[in-house]
Amino acid sequence: MSTGSPVVRVSNLHKRYGPTHALRGLDFEIPAGQLTGFLGPNGAGKTTTFRAILGLTRPNEGTVEVLGMDVPSGLPEIVKRIGVIVEEPGLIKALSGRVNVEIAADTLGFGHDRIDEQLDFVGLTQDSHRKLGDYSKGMRQRLALAAAMLGDPELLILDEPLDGLDPAGQMAFRARLRALSDEGKSVVVSSHDLADIEALADYVVVISQGRLVSQGPLDRLLGDGRIRVVVADRQTAARVLAAAGMKNSIDDGGVLVEAGDGSDVVRALADAGIYPSEVKPARDTLESVFLGITGEGDM
Amino acid sequence: MSLVHAEYLKVTRRKLFPVMTLILGLLMGFFGVLFFLVLPALPESAGGGAGAVVPQRPGAFVFGAQQVAAQAWWFAVILATAVFGGELATTAWATSLARESRKLRHIVSKFVVFAIASWLALLAGTAIWSVATFLFADGSGSLAASEWLGLVWKFGVIAAAWTSIGLGAIGLTRSIPSAMAIALGLSFVDSILAPFVEIYENVSLTAATNGIFGLAADSPFGALIPGGDMSLAHALAIMAGWAIVGLGLMWWGLQRRDA
Repeated sequence: MSTGSPVVRVSNLHKRYGPTHALRGLDFEIPAGQLTGFLGPNGAGKTTTFRAILGLTRPNEGTVEVLGMDVPSGLPEIVKRIGVIVEEPGLIKALSGRVNVEIAADTLGFGHDRIDEQLDFVGLTQDSHRKLGDYSKGMRQRLALAAAMLGDPELLILDEPLDGLDPAGQMAFRARLRALSDEGKSVVVSSHDLADIEALADYVVVISQGRLVSQGPLDRLLGDGRIRVVVADRQTAARVLAAAGMKNSIDDGGVLVEAGDGSDVVRALADAGIYPSEVKPARDTLESVFLGITGEGDM
Repeated sequence: MSLVHAEYLKVTRRKLFPVMTLILGLLMGFFGVLFFLVLPALPESAGGGAGAVVPQRPGAFVFGAQQVAAQAWWFAVILATAVFGGELATTAWATSLARESRKLRHIVSKFVVFAIASWLALLAGTAIWSVATFLFADGSGSLAASEWLGLVWKFGVIAAAWTSIGLGAIGLTRSIPSAMAIALGLSFVDSILAPFVEIYENVSLTAATNGIFGLAADSPFGALIPGGDMSLAHALAIMAGWAIVGLGLMWWGLQRRDA
């Protein structure tokens, strides 16, 4: 899959559950070869969207393409090329971790030849013969990731994989997702936790109330092309930059300048005899960006 | 084959199947002790002693097989509804990504494995009864090899029919208690209607079971037993019909609702 063509394309997706309109004309694309965060508040429609992408629910309207194939007609081929964790992984507590992965391999039509490799990748080789009921939630999530990886998928779709994990578990899981992305796999991770996505994603799709709110590279979303200049006399610096044609505003940390290149800012200030102590990209937190674009106060 | 192997692992690596088989075996062992040891030892006033109707060899072997067949419905239904119901109650069915693809293969695999497991358990129950018969029953002789083989395949038919009914009920309701209630209700209503509603007898599971095992062949009340004069082909057609209905309901139930 080239990085140019999206691995998932959703167009005008509508899903109603009785009077509830869960998805309201949702459009977005997931780029290939990146770790994409699929973000939205609780009830935004994230899980419904994933379920529609995977053919687990039928949308009332709209189209879904995965790896260039239509859903649901292409699903027999699609399921061989994707790995999935949907909601709570469907594992059997009475059985050992290894038998669960064997069942997953048989159920999904993959061989057993990658089982050892995947158990090793998620760090569960030693514990693979213990019953799943004895696993922590983090271990179960890692086992589900091993099961999802059995077919060496091009695309991983993971629904809230970090939910309920302790900090150490989250860190270990994030590291594995990052390693997969670095191998060139496309990974989509949904979450309602902004910090999860900020720490993990290259690209972000934000939905709210069943509609797309924003999508794009995370850096662009957070940085927005602004530069923060730390100077002793903020008022004077702001006037100089405005005179040089650079829009700006003053905040507690310095002067926020809308400029693509920091060297232009430094040159303009230096010409006026002002030497900033710090010039850096003004990176917002995902939380502040999210609240700004969605108006959501409750995540 | 990999789907069959997955179902095989789910059935054999959990306690449900061996525990249920053990219960069936204990039940048949209990019946053996009751019929061959306890009943003859009871006073005649209590229905025992010389007046007691105790099956004798070789007919006692078939009598026991009929008792096992009467237990078939709950065994097959519980196994099918509990194992698949557990998948539907969690996200295991969703994780298989089979709602829009490979659904028929999943259905067939579950049916094959659950039916074979139930069949083996019924044979185990029959074996325990047969041991009790061999050790304690009066009379002599055994069944011919062809009669033993006949019992073996007949149990397969019964197990297949009730397994499909269990799968249909769970596919339709997605609730283990509801599915079991449906199967229990069907078993009860079927056994009530079969002797009294002539038209229904033609599609009755009870009548078909009796027809397959030839229950009425040696009985003076054969004409009164539903399915007593039913041909084997007719009985098999009834069982096949119920199996198709069950699997059809399962497919429809999985199709009409989200995974």
